[in-house]
Amino acid sequence: MSLLSVRGISKRFGGLTAVDDVSFEVFEGTIKALIGPNGAGKSTLFNLLTGFERPDAGSVSFGGTALGGKRPHEVVRVGLARTFQNTQLFEEMTGAENVLVGMHPTMRTGFMAGALRLPSTRAEERDARERVGHLLRLVGADQYADTPAADVPHGVRRLLEIARALATSPRLLLLDEPAAGLNNAETRTLATCLRRIRDDGITILVVEHDMGLVMDVSEEIVVLDRGRKIAEGPPLLIQKDAAVIEAYLGEEAVYA
Amino acid sequence: MARFLTPRILGRALPVVACGVLFLVPMLTDDRYLFKVLTFVGLNVIVIAGLALLFGFAGQISLGHAAFVGIGAYTCGYLTAARGVPWIVAVIAGTVLAGVGGFLLAIPSLRLKGHYLAMATLGFNEIMSVLFVELRPVTGGNDGLRGIPFASIGAWKIDTPAGNYLLVWGVAVVVLLLTANIIRTRPGRAMRALHGSELGALASGVDTGRLKTEVFALSAGIAGLAGALYASSVGFISPSTFSLEFSVLLIAMVVIGGAGSLAGPVAACALLTLLPYADALIPGLSKELIALIQDWEADISGFVMILVLLFAPGGLAALGRRLGGTSARGAGGVQ
Amino acid sequence: MNSAELLQFVASGLQNGAVYALVALGFTLVYASTGIINFAQGEFFMLGGMLAVAGVRAGLPLPFAALASVVLTASIGLLFERVALRPRRDSGPTVLIIITIGGSMVMKSLARHAFGPNELSLPPFSPGVPIVFAGASIDRQVLWIWGLTIVAVVALTFLYSKTKLGRAMRACSLSHDAARLMGIDTARVVMISFGLAAALGALGGVAVAPLTQTAFDVGSRAGLKGFAAAILGGLGNPIAAVVGGLVLGLLESLSVAFISSTYKDAISLVVLLAVLFLRPQGLLGKSRREKV
Repeated sequence: MSLLSVRGISKRFGGLTAVDDVSFEVFEGTIKALIGPNGAGKSTLFNLLTGFERPDAGSVSFGGTALGGKRPHEVVRVGLARTFQNTQLFEEMTGAENVLVGMHPTMRTGFMAGALRLPSTRAEERDARERVGHLLRLVGADQYADTPAADVPHGVRRLLEIARALATSPRLLLLDEPAAGLNNAETRTLATCLRRIRDDGITILVVEHDMGLVMDVSEEIVVLDRGRKIAEGPPLLIQKDAAVIEAYLGEEAVYA
Repeated sequence: MARFLTPRILGRALPVVACGVLFLVPMLTDDRYLFKVLTFVGLNVIVIAGLALLFGFAGQISLGHAAFVGIGAYTCGYLTAARGVPWIVAVIAGTVLAGVGGFLLAIPSLRLKGHYLAMATLGFNEIMSVLFVELRPVTGGNDGLRGIPFASIGAWKIDTPAGNYLLVWGVAVVVLLLTANIIRTRPGRAMRALHGSELGALASGVDTGRLKTEVFALSAGIAGLAGALYASSVGFISPSTFSLEFSVLLIAMVVIGGAGSLAGPVAACALLTLLPYADALIPGLSKELIALIQDWEADISGFVMILVLLFAPGGLAALGRRLGGTSARGAGGVQ
Repeated sequence: MNSAELLQFVASGLQNGAVYALVALGFTLVYASTGIINFAQGEFFMLGGMLAVAGVRAGLPLPFAALASVVLTASIGLLFERVALRPRRDSGPTVLIIITIGGSMVMKSLARHAFGPNELSLPPFSPGVPIVFAGASIDRQVLWIWGLTIVAVVALTFLYSKTKLGRAMRACSLSHDAARLMGIDTARVVMISFGLAAALGALGGVAVAPLTQTAFDVGSRAGLKGFAAAILGGLGNPIAAVVGGLVLGLLESLSVAFISSTYKDAISLVVLLAVLFLRPQGLLGKSRREKV
């Protein structure tokens, strides 16, 4: 069943068309990859899906409801959570606190209840911390629970962001270059982690440059070039697609 | 014995001991001057608790908090002195009105960041200063409002300096407790997240626009509460008290205390407020020295604020943590 | 109201407006090259007037005192940037705002200690009876204010468009990284911007002191009005700063003419808030969206 369906979406910045009439579907329970050369419009497309940018044309529907006009925090509450290419962690807060912020939409404590620390607040707080511990273990960042994010190593920062996104209880996880800056071993751990998340029933759409990871984990791939969709299909077909090879000519050796 | 004095236990015990000492003071002395000075400290501590939430934790600057204190003070003063409204009702009215003022200022300010927010709130403070002078029928103009009655609940009148001191510090302790609880729970985390990365907060499902308005209103309301208590404590208010200089001094207290901390700004607030009245605590100080300190007060706060930002961005809070032996990293600093 | 009275109000509006324009230019220069708003800009205006008075009292001839005051204030501006701002220039805006606020507290307070709490007056540049023009009487000092403003604007335009320093400043206003790649010493450009901004503020302070007197605490009002003028025109554009200053001066003086003088000072504040809330890019600025 299609969880996310993108129809004819476009975005222009001044004279430049960053995303040009792109359509595709993401099916529930799968991992889909979005690839393309630098400047192909992948990050812009992510911003359009998550409400950080408004499309000039086209529509996005998620689980049957239209996302048009929803603001970023509303998109999260519908069930789409994202990470950023440049990690947006809360540097002064610990790893666990970063993930706790992701619990914000599912928790209820407001200013009044928080100020009085009602029994319900304490119970909610306890449950949330328990779930955060579970999420940190899931992504393999549990030893950084009490470390301020500013002091967490680069590779783990991306894992913390994934855990924070998972904390919002999404149905669809959008990951923007999760393997950027990771070494081989870390990338393998990430691949395992992504499959585990998918097996938990969370659909994943991932923008990634690391073709090894893309070919390894994704069931389907969408290829963008200069804002347009130039190919879509399973990894083996995409690898042989003439248009894709053409688009990547001039980029460094991509097929590792 | 010494091994029980871990930073964690000290951190919990210190506020309790401080409270104990505060409430013991009236049994040890009946020095009116001392009570007056300590009451001022308590009033400023209330304002600082609210400003630490807004500026220190949520990262939203306000150069208009003196005006919110003024709104609370004039509302309470006018209602009790000129209208005979019961004290408690007037205090609530002052708090609510200041909170509404903060809410109304926050809505158009949502789009403004950094410099623009600072300028908008500064402009607001200046406009209120003009209004405090020009709305003579309510405010009494430059001469101010006189004869504001002491706090009273029903027939019970709190009209001694010691009683008033206890009232103000009672409120201050409650405000500090509630504020500390907010910081430790969901809304407080959302505020710190907003400070750390607005994009990250949005992506975590935090409605940052609404959060900013709420914190602004809450912080302004707390300032209004302090203002209302100030009016009934002192009995006389005039426009110059609620000037931009006071707003700047409040910001200086939070900066010197350390953003992202409650204890630091409270300590800085106590130190800076006591500075010009040092003779109340330390007997033997010469009149000349006190006059000298009072003369250089603004320079001292300005200098210290710049020095803190240049050399110790975490402020008193980071200093305290370093002395306590815990990691000073991850501990605030104005971003 | 007859035309002579109206002209009188217009002249007084343009007189204040020219001073606002000078302060606004200071805001704009610093904003263009650093992206920060210098909350101490008003204190440069105050220092200009106060130092000139001090110079005259010390026996300097008036022209020397005025010039020395502008030069001295400019050095204070340079020094302030070098000592207090440069060490934290990579910090977020809040830190820089607060440092400039701290700087303004210190400058104001030091001025009170050095020159006392009272209002001081500076002798007029060219003494004599006011000039009567079409029924309106215009003080000779007002002509000096206009003249000096025009000279400052022309000199600044020349500097911006024709000199190497001007090109470097314009490059910095677009992107510091790009400017550095072009071999521009951005730190030096920033420091010079502060010096120029201080000089412009001081010039305003000196020029208006004979008319209005001056005191240690005139800085924050002047700074606020200068900023209102700068943002009314559109922050970062020198022409816009001048237009904003003149428009604000006229608005104020016409509001006195047609409404009442009670809220004269509130006019600029209302203008400031209205522009901030409704059109932060100013009258002449282009709309710019913030990018995620």
